[in-house]
Amino acid sequence: MSDDLGPVFAALADPTRRRMVQALLRDGTTTVPALTSALPITRQAVAKHLAALDHAGLVERSPAPGREVRYRLRDGALHPASAWLVETEAAWDGRLARLKEAVEREA
Amino acid sequence: MPVRREVDIEASPEEVWEALVTEQGRERWLDEPQRDVHVEVVESPHRLVWWWVGEDEPATRVEFLVVASPCGTRVVVTESEPAFPLAALSMSLAGVRA
Repeated sequence: MSDDLGPVFAALADPTRRRMVQALLRDGTTTVPALTSALPITRQAVAKHLAALDHAGLVERSPAPGREVRYRLRDGALHPASAWLVETEAAWDGRLARLKEAVEREA
Repeated sequence: MPVRREVDIEASPEEVWEALVTEQGRERWLDEPQRDVHVEVVESPHRLVWWWVGEDEPATRVEFLVVASPCGTRVVVTESEPAFPLAALSMSLAGVRA
């Protein structure tokens, strides 16, 4: 696992932040007011969680016309985490195939 | 972020269990010398949990469930990072991986 996964996993360990990331995966961009009305937390808490996601490199401000500040997922930010999933799944498929072969040979 | 995989083996749960719980048994299929196995839970012959500790990567938790099935035995393995209750995350990642 690469070193840069630690902050990503730490940021995503919080259920509220996972919901924010899910909202961004679904909607593309979002705003503090939109998140505040969608989640049972204060505007200040939303801003704090967004800052944590930003710090982990997961979100960034999206250039938008007007004064409204929109946020989006940073390109590729989730890829290291999903790569770990894919690699670990493949590794277990190989190990379980060897386990099966070893046990059935002896049975 | 748990990874969950399973396999069906044509052998009894006890035979599968031996290959999981003993070092000798693991040598036959687990080729992972860079990580040490620290067994945490042994509920013979159905549930085994170990921590995998390597020098270069964070420890992960590996849980095996061994259950009798029509063809013999089903083994379900889950590997997860302890700091991280990941069920919800894998759902959000599913969108990225697709």
